[in-house]
Amino acid sequence: MTLTARPEQRRDEHVPGDNDMWVMVLGDMIIFAGYFIVFMIYRSMHAREFLAAQEHLDVNIGVVNTVILLTSSWFVVRAVTAARAGRSAQAIRLVYGGGLGGVLFMALKGYEWVAKIRAGHGNSEMFYSFYYVVTGVHLIHVLIGLIVLGTVVRELRNPGRRRATVVESGAIYWHMVDLLWVIIFALFYVMR
Amino acid sequence: MDTTGSASGQRAATWAWLTLVVITIGSWWLSPAHSGGTALPSAPITAVVLLLAIIKSRLIIRYFMEVRDAPRWLRHSTDAWLAVLFAAIFVIYLI
Repeated sequence: MTLTARPEQRRDEHVPGDNDMWVMVLGDMIIFAGYFIVFMIYRSMHAREFLAAQEHLDVNIGVVNTVILLTSSWFVVRAVTAARAGRSAQAIRLVYGGGLGGVLFMALKGYEWVAKIRAGHGNSEMFYSFYYVVTGVHLIHVLIGLIVLGTVVRELRNPGRRRATVVESGAIYWHMVDLLWVIIFALFYVMR
Repeated sequence: MDTTGSASGQRAATWAWLTLVVITIGSWWLSPAHSGGTALPSAPITAVVLLLAIIKSRLIIRYFMEVRDAPRWLRHSTDAWLAVLFAAIFVIYLI
């Protein structure tokens, strides 16, 4: 087979960030996959009830928040490129742009929660108890992501450091927050 | 540092971002909140929604997280995660 004949390690192959970050990110991905599967099991047992509850979610906020998070990730991608090219000042500005997206996301999510609770969609509805737990755990990851972006800024500010692996690792964590949200959006807001 | 590779990587990531935003806005029309209180379960719509979510997830993994240029173990383990997760989601949905 030609595929196996290819050299094991391509010349330009490299692990973005460091291995420790990947262990954490892959671990989080597996944990969230567990949440998603448990959610699906309960959903399939109460399909009608879940779908009715889903209709009360504000899909406009869901879409806007997804676009915000995707755009903030795109800022962080550009920050990594700038950092690699030695343009630290630009990289810092782009990381701030990414962080701003995270803050906006949290603010909108908070607003959405308050609006749902005021409308009477509390933990007594099974769909909403899943919604609060899963989006709540995700929101904690957004917060951790903001702290991680803070360490990236600190790294870029110090002319003696500026290690590409630190910047890449922070970026990977931030993109994971985005990745998990995209799946939450599909399962909670859009599927039927 | 390989800045030319990085620049083309950034261009690819920008296309990925654009595609992600377009798919997200597109899924707005599919959501049950748009059915005026009469959303019915729909396996075809759910299949499309899950397929779009797989595409979005893979774009984020490959172009944002740069797994596209990563060693084989990382490319394969992220793909395996996607395949197992979404297969499980759809099978449970159909049961």
